[in-house]
Amino acid sequence: MVRQRFRGLFQKYWLVLFMAVAVPLAINGVIEAWFGYRDQRARLDQLLGLQATSAATRIHGFIDEITNELGWLVQLPWTDGPDELRRTDALRLLRQAPAVASLTLCDHAGRERLYISRVGLNRVDSRAERSTDPAVVGARSARIWFGDVNYNRGSEPYLTVAMSGNRPSAGVVVAEVNLKLIWEVISAIKVGDAGFAFVLDRPGRLIAHPDLSLVLRGADEATSKPFQAIRYAIGRAGTGFARGRDLRGDPIAAAGAPVAGPDWTVVVQQPLSEAFAPIYAALWRTALLLLLGTMFSGLLAYGLADRMTNPIRLLEEGTEKIRAGHFDHRITIETGDELQRLADSFNRMASQLALAREHQERIARLKRFLAPQVADLVDRTGDDSVLEGRRAEVVVVFADLRGFTSFSAGVAPEEVMSVLSEYYEVLGKVIAAFAATLISFSGDGLMVLVNAPVPVKEPALTAVDLAVAMQRSVQELIGCWRERGYEVGFGVGLASGSATVGRIGYASRFDYTAIGSVVNLAARLCASAADREILMNGEVAAAVKDRRALKALGDRPIKGYDEAIPVFGIAFDAPLKACAD
Amino acid sequence: MGDQAMPVGAPMASAGCKAARRAPMFDRIGRRDVLALLGAAAAWTYPARAQRSIPVLGYLCPESPVPFASRLKAFHDGLRETGYIEGKNVAIEYRWAEGQYKRLPDLAASLVARDVDIIVAPGGAPVALAAKASTTSKTIVFEMGGDPVQLGVVDSLSRPGGNITGVSSLSVEVSRKRLEFMHELLPAATALAVVANPTSPTAKSQLESLHSAAGVLGVDLQILNASIEQEFEPAFSAAAQKPPTGLVFTSDPYFAFRSGQLAALAQQYRLPAITQSRDFPIAGGLMSYGGDFVQSHRRTGVYAGRILHGEKPSNLPVQLVTRVEFFVNLKAAKILGIELSPSLISSADEVIE
Repeated sequence: MVRQRFRGLFQKYWLVLFMAVAVPLAINGVIEAWFGYRDQRARLDQLLGLQATSAATRIHGFIDEITNELGWLVQLPWTDGPDELRRTDALRLLRQAPAVASLTLCDHAGRERLYISRVGLNRVDSRAERSTDPAVVGARSARIWFGDVNYNRGSEPYLTVAMSGNRPSAGVVVAEVNLKLIWEVISAIKVGDAGFAFVLDRPGRLIAHPDLSLVLRGADEATSKPFQAIRYAIGRAGTGFARGRDLRGDPIAAAGAPVAGPDWTVVVQQPLSEAFAPIYAALWRTALLLLLGTMFSGLLAYGLADRMTNPIRLLEEGTEKIRAGHFDHRITIETGDELQRLADSFNRMASQLALAREHQERIARLKRFLAPQVADLVDRTGDDSVLEGRRAEVVVVFADLRGFTSFSAGVAPEEVMSVLSEYYEVLGKVIAAFAATLISFSGDGLMVLVNAPVPVKEPALTAVDLAVAMQRSVQELIGCWRERGYEVGFGVGLASGSATVGRIGYASRFDYTAIGSVVNLAARLCASAADREILMNGEVAAAVKDRRALKALGDRPIKGYDEAIPVFGIAFDAPLKACAD
Repeated sequence: MGDQAMPVGAPMASAGCKAARRAPMFDRIGRRDVLALLGAAAAWTYPARAQRSIPVLGYLCPESPVPFASRLKAFHDGLRETGYIEGKNVAIEYRWAEGQYKRLPDLAASLVARDVDIIVAPGGAPVALAAKASTTSKTIVFEMGGDPVQLGVVDSLSRPGGNITGVSSLSVEVSRKRLEFMHELLPAATALAVVANPTSPTAKSQLESLHSAAGVLGVDLQILNASIEQEFEPAFSAAAQKPPTGLVFTSDPYFAFRSGQLAALAQQYRLPAITQSRDFPIAGGLMSYGGDFVQSHRRTGVYAGRILHGEKPSNLPVQLVTRVEFFVNLKAAKILGIELSPSLISSADEVIE
């Protein structure tokens, strides 16, 4: 039970403290991660877009270089005769532009004047009609004309580029460009560590790719399909980069840019893992910091919760100890706060409890010889100074049975004890009723004190009434006893006078008693009293003479007194009540 | 590698088997022997696997190491481009035919028997054909001057199909250009001599192409045959007789690897000559026109490396070299007393002075 409660409190404290640290931390981390992710994405958008534009510029540069070279061949007007200079120029162009596989030069009438090739035989002044050639027509209308990509023997991509001069008389040059040579441009384009670029023509055929073998597969639908899918994704994505999958099926980020002129598209792609690497790194960093923060806050919360619940646990243990009666148990809490105050007040309570118990024990001891009322009085005042020794006017009452010694010799001990217990039971009730102080009892006799330690209003009258009540009660018993054949009587003697009263004894064993001649006198009077007789000295009689029916019995010699002293008796009617058995 | 390790491991393994059979009768001894067997098995399989982990290339070469050195270097460069370095993560078994092309089928067969991972067949159509004939399962990467489709080596350039792919240097296709250059050099000549190797698988197609080109150019051709070194000198001396004054060599590896000899003979007979290999003008010959063998051999190395990396040869299209180079040696022209036209010089990729 106690354990459970303790754990519950610890859990609550821990949870609250942990949440107080971890929740703001987590919220902060998530917000930071979200903004970081957005920033990185925007940066990636920009970066890939720039890469694509730059790649397109480089591809365009490849074409520009060729068209620039071609421009030199269509500057001068054709003459009718062979043009040796132009042939040399064309041969030089072939050397300078390795991508150009062959050149066809036509004059203003569209007749072929020169054809040179790296592989085939050259032709000079064949004057073949070329004016309806799409390349010638295209160049005449648009100055620069790009044909569709065609594949030499189904493998190598070739592009026909035609160009006309500023003046129609300069004719048209048509070049077959081997696009395999773009490889040198495209393979030099790197996007990050593993990213690269590739080029698609308008219908979506692969023209350039760092892996030349893909390009050499020609217009193979299966080969170019994944690339077309990437281009489609880019088109759909609009602004920003698109996501797609590369040939191995790994996710990629891709962006595209157009190549004006031949109407191609350059696509740059980068593995998504690499493109997002900074994002992932940032996320991981945030996650790690969050984890560390959470662990730290967990530990912190544990420490704090422990600090808070430990004093409570100590207090709990303390109360358990007190409950078990260990009043000397003390709690040491030095937190410098309310809990310490609580512990201090607990310690004070424990010490007061110890005092209270001591007091109670003393009261319990007092009750053995004081009337319950007296004992309560002492208890209430908390002061047993009434028990201190002093001189007091007291009435001493002695009583004992007549013929008890001979009776006790003749019967079984059980019988003796049973008689005595009945005897004391009735006497005890009477003494208690009159708030008298029982000083001692031994065998069949007992001594009772009135007016000490607690004074009463009329000590003599009380004592006389007490003696009468005692006689009446005991005589009732005696009546019964006689029926059983026990021949005993009961006499009472009382005397008033000055006596020393107080506590005597040692350690925890002590009694309250009275010392003085009045005690002896009372004892003597009791000894001389016959059965059913109450004897008192003159002092007592003088105190009650008008209120109780006394009779003077004359002077009697009393042992220990030189002269006979006057003795008085009191009559009482003994009740004749049927015995219990 | 595995077959070498086998004889070492086999006796141990059989001893272990015997012990295992005895085991039920002699339990205590048997257990110890079983442990020995396990140890032997571990010792036996480990080196075999370790050795096997380095792939082995079979390099089938028509010539001897010295004339082939520049090609071999280009091949190694290509391999290195894909991350393979001989002796480190790839082993190469060489087979040198030393100019005796008839030996190629046997050498190819020995590579197949050797269980190499890939057969590299550089240096011409005869090598590729010998390699292709020796196996249908091993991957072959060829390097040749001819048209692999026409020769029946592959089905198509873009989809070679089967277990074979490679690089073609276009040298065979441009033999007519050689005739054209010679005609341009000697516009007045009415007849030119052509030296062909009748044993070459491409000889017939080259001669056909040359004859049609001669028809366009308006010259007569004198065909001279040479298939062994001893036939070189007779060819030169025959060409030195009038009327031909220029000598055009068909594309043939046998000629290409003997450029030094040919250059010496050309100087000796004072004949302008053109061959496919740049080695010829470098050695003192007049002109050469042919595919860039450095490029073609390097790409052969790249393809071999890519296949070692696990790519399928059928997915690797046959590559044609992008560079066909024209070399002229002005010193040789001077010795011959020939003036090179500006158009010839301007179209030369390299002019040796």
